[in-house]
Amino acid sequence: MHRVLTTCCFCACGCNLYLEVKNGKVVGVIPSRQHPIARGNLCLKGWNGFEFVHHKDRLKYPLIRKNGRLVEATWNEALELVAQRLSQIKERHGGQSLGVLSSGKCSNEENYLLMKFARAVLKTNNVDHCARLCHSPTVVGLGNAFGSGAMTNSISELARAKVILVTGSNTTEQHPQIARFIFDALARGSKLIVVDPRRIRLSKFAHIYLQPRLGTDVIWLNGMMKIILDEGLLDDAFIKMRTENFRAFSEHLRKFDLEQVEAVSGIAVEDLRRAARMYASVKRAMIIYSMGITQHICGTDNVQSIANMAMLTGHVEQECTGVGPLRGQNNVQGACDMGALPGTLPGYQSIADEGIRRKFEKTWKTDLPLAPGLTEIGMFHGTGDKKVRGMFIMGENPAMSHPDLRATRRALAALEFLAVSDIFLTETAQFADVVLPAASFAEKDGTFTSTERRIQRVRKAISPIGKSNPDWQIICELSARMNYPMHYESPAEIMEEIALLTPIYGGIYYDRLEHGWGLFWPCPNRDHPGTPFLHKGSFVRGKGRFDCISYRPPEETPDDQYPFYLTTGRIYAHWHTGSMSRRVTALSRERPEAFVEINPRDAKRLGVANRDTVRVTSRRGEITLKARLTDDVPEKTVFISFHFAEAPANILTHDRCDPGVGIPEFKVCAVRLEGVK
Amino acid sequence: MPDDVILNKEHLKSFLRKIAKERELIAPVKNRHGDTLFEVVSSVDDVTFDLETRPVVSPKSFFLPPTETLFHYQRKEGKYLFKEVLPKLSRVFFGLRSCDLWAILFLDVVFQEDFKDLYYLNRRQDTILINVGCREPMKNCFCKSAKSGPFLTQGYDLQFTDLGDRFFVEIGRPRGRELVEKWDYFFRPATNKDRDEQYEIVLEAESKFERIVDFDTAISRFMNNEVDDALWEELGDRCQGCGGCAYVCPTCYCFDMVDRPISDSEGERVRIHDACTLAGFTRLAGGHNPRHERSRRVRRRFYHKLPFAQERYHRPSCVGCGRCVEICFGRVDMIHFIRMVCERPEKSSQASLRLGEILLDAGLLSAEGLKIALEKQAGTGKPLGTQLVEDGLITTEEIVSALGLQLGMPGTPETGGVIGR
Repeated sequence: MHRVLTTCCFCACGCNLYLEVKNGKVVGVIPSRQHPIARGNLCLKGWNGFEFVHHKDRLKYPLIRKNGRLVEATWNEALELVAQRLSQIKERHGGQSLGVLSSGKCSNEENYLLMKFARAVLKTNNVDHCARLCHSPTVVGLGNAFGSGAMTNSISELARAKVILVTGSNTTEQHPQIARFIFDALARGSKLIVVDPRRIRLSKFAHIYLQPRLGTDVIWLNGMMKIILDEGLLDDAFIKMRTENFRAFSEHLRKFDLEQVEAVSGIAVEDLRRAARMYASVKRAMIIYSMGITQHICGTDNVQSIANMAMLTGHVEQECTGVGPLRGQNNVQGACDMGALPGTLPGYQSIADEGIRRKFEKTWKTDLPLAPGLTEIGMFHGTGDKKVRGMFIMGENPAMSHPDLRATRRALAALEFLAVSDIFLTETAQFADVVLPAASFAEKDGTFTSTERRIQRVRKAISPIGKSNPDWQIICELSARMNYPMHYESPAEIMEEIALLTPIYGGIYYDRLEHGWGLFWPCPNRDHPGTPFLHKGSFVRGKGRFDCISYRPPEETPDDQYPFYLTTGRIYAHWHTGSMSRRVTALSRERPEAFVEINPRDAKRLGVANRDTVRVTSRRGEITLKARLTDDVPEKTVFISFHFAEAPANILTHDRCDPGVGIPEFKVCAVRLEGVK
Repeated sequence: MPDDVILNKEHLKSFLRKIAKERELIAPVKNRHGDTLFEVVSSVDDVTFDLETRPVVSPKSFFLPPTETLFHYQRKEGKYLFKEVLPKLSRVFFGLRSCDLWAILFLDVVFQEDFKDLYYLNRRQDTILINVGCREPMKNCFCKSAKSGPFLTQGYDLQFTDLGDRFFVEIGRPRGRELVEKWDYFFRPATNKDRDEQYEIVLEAESKFERIVDFDTAISRFMNNEVDDALWEELGDRCQGCGGCAYVCPTCYCFDMVDRPISDSEGERVRIHDACTLAGFTRLAGGHNPRHERSRRVRRRFYHKLPFAQERYHRPSCVGCGRCVEICFGRVDMIHFIRMVCERPEKSSQASLRLGEILLDAGLLSAEGLKIALEKQAGTGKPLGTQLVEDGLITTEEIVSALGLQLGMPGTPETGGVIGR
């Protein structure tokens, strides 16, 4: 038996653990005690999640669709076919008719290569990944305000913050190991404010818990800031020295009517006042947020309101302050960093900047496409010359994770060609013309970047299952067949290229990652120790920018026909579209089936008892699943997780997006409920 | 050969090298990432033994692995063929902490008291256990309270005590003696001076514990149903359901059995580690869960570790290794649990305390007055209200009016946990 230290493949906490390997199989995990986040423990997924690695459903050989059925093929056949079909479409309709989805589950090196493949080989900027669905408003919103769209401070600083405001993050369930630091802070006497439409577990420990209606974040945030302004709890010196546009912003706030707060959000002004005082009156206060803030048509507005509040009170640029967007996937931060986004090259360098483009063209020895790329959602909606005809999807499952699944699946079925590389035959892979078996995290080397911008090693513990291959090798093979050979002997060599081209990763080399616990970007050169907290002394963009944000209601609110709010999200025991977690005994046993959380008073009115079957219908479609009665959801609001293929929550959600960044409003839509006898 | 001998430290590696030739040597090793884990040592020269730090997980996994294949099955021509996978191992553990060794002895009982578990026993029977008594307890250690350390009086094959330049080696069970006899040239007989020195060290180590917990009171209160429901509710809220406490615990032995297909015609029956704080642990096939609320599951966990084990095995199954204390961020660990049970007033006085709080809030009573009354009440056994009225600290009318106010206030929010999780 031997043990291999690696980084957990579930959420972006970035826990390091040892995989125990016996006879070529992963048989257990041990958390690292020295690792600053793992600290000797894992969450339920971390402790048990490795089981999917050896599940019998793992894809063990390539598949090609013949006469409508996916049948076994050799690597050569499969890759030749992908190369040929993608080339064909490119020749006939141009690069912009191709789309590529990269993955927050794959390594930095793989995301970099796929992004390079899209731009240098397919000649398209249509490359995106699931950050579109989770934190695109963060990348843009915090970028606008601070100049960098990532967590400003590191996780462990939470333990020393005096006040922590958590909103739109069910931290104990989705980032359990980060919640641990919140508990540490509580044990030290810190104060906790929780603002969430659902009465999440953390709210039981909150000194102030506020329960806004869904989609009313801008209202309570503006209200809170108005109180701070009115009561003079703002940080004048900070605002003067470090920010701009405050005059317009304060005028905007002055015009804001506090009466609105209770009417729209349901939060009593006096409660909000207590929260405002608590947050503004200490020096070290941190804000933690997640999907509850971003997955709205006003996601960017929400994020910028949070940034406004942090600047208004001077809670940025210091240790134990700042704004902490918690990223979901293990490497969704890295996938963004690697430029798997339509508008940016690695390190958030704009594709529109000619100098930057030249730099990449020179290194990659080819010219790059100019046409602006489509977002992940956009690729499924294009018409005319914006129509995407062929796609390569790596480790993503839009047939489960996208909103309005009926429309998404129609679009997948309508593609002229679809290649999917994944570890299981996901709902998306079932639409594919070619399926390429990928190696899991346990079977490859690479790096993941955690939510706190910590770049850490992923180490190969076992050989790839069956004939599967790591995605980085798949991309190299494919690229070679499309007349653009990529020769890398290892992911370390890919990282050398990343470091060369990406200033924030400029000092990231594998030998440096062998000792200690990774490096925080920005890390511009080999001698740089990394940056645990951003904006020290000054914002990345120079001065922090206040923006005047006005409230916009959600796209769809309840009416007579669809009288309930539906909000969607994840649960502790499962992971995203369930392809991994539902194949793990302990996890699937914990939550074996889909359920809808209903307030007991609503359930009574509907005549529905706990565990009764319920049909949930929206304008897009319907699903049936079990009722779970709980006070955690307020009346007239139901919650469904999106893990279960047999009752996919996203059949119900709509696909209207935040216009600026293209994030769909997963958190709010209107549904109707009825018991099924 | 006497019952105690001396091994010079310079001979430790030589001794271990000899053992490792005959058996699989397992010892706490500090790896290059700084973590101390029990590792199979193939070469004694290539590793850094760490006898100071508690390994992250207990040695349990060497006897009851987190994933263990029990047998393979194959379906051929409509028939099932089975192939058992029985381990057979000769091992020696060096550098066990006393608590961990004691935990193995506890598991020995569990795995052969009614049903002889061959998978466990085959791993265990030919295993030699050598502990090194702990001179310095770690921050969360409480083996002294659990009566399983820092030094043992029995149960070991060999027990080492670090005397600075040499180890004082106590010979316990016969297989320990065999080891020493076989390589007697590394050892010399202990002198009275050595013995005195060792005794001093044991005494000193015992005095160094920061964590003293009162198992007896906790168990008796638990058994007498004197633990307040509010305490379980609180623990239920604080438990995050990670299962970590059971996974790292050296004596938690619950497991789940699963059939895992490898292909359509063959597969394995596997047992995997399990944790009683998980909802799936007790959920029945129809979906009903007798311990639906997390508070019930936490209660069950402590019940099993304390009163149940006490009744069945005459000692709690907790050995005080401190691992759950180290990892549980909700503080649903043994130390905090026992403290809570011991420090909180019993159920009957809970009502008194609540009344006291109401009166304090209503401004009808001073904190000092309440304290005096509570102390007095502890002696007289009278309800707090009666005590206060008798002492002239408050009138009956005032109590009624304060309670009326209390009733008029909005109730505390229902915990979602009762119905929800």
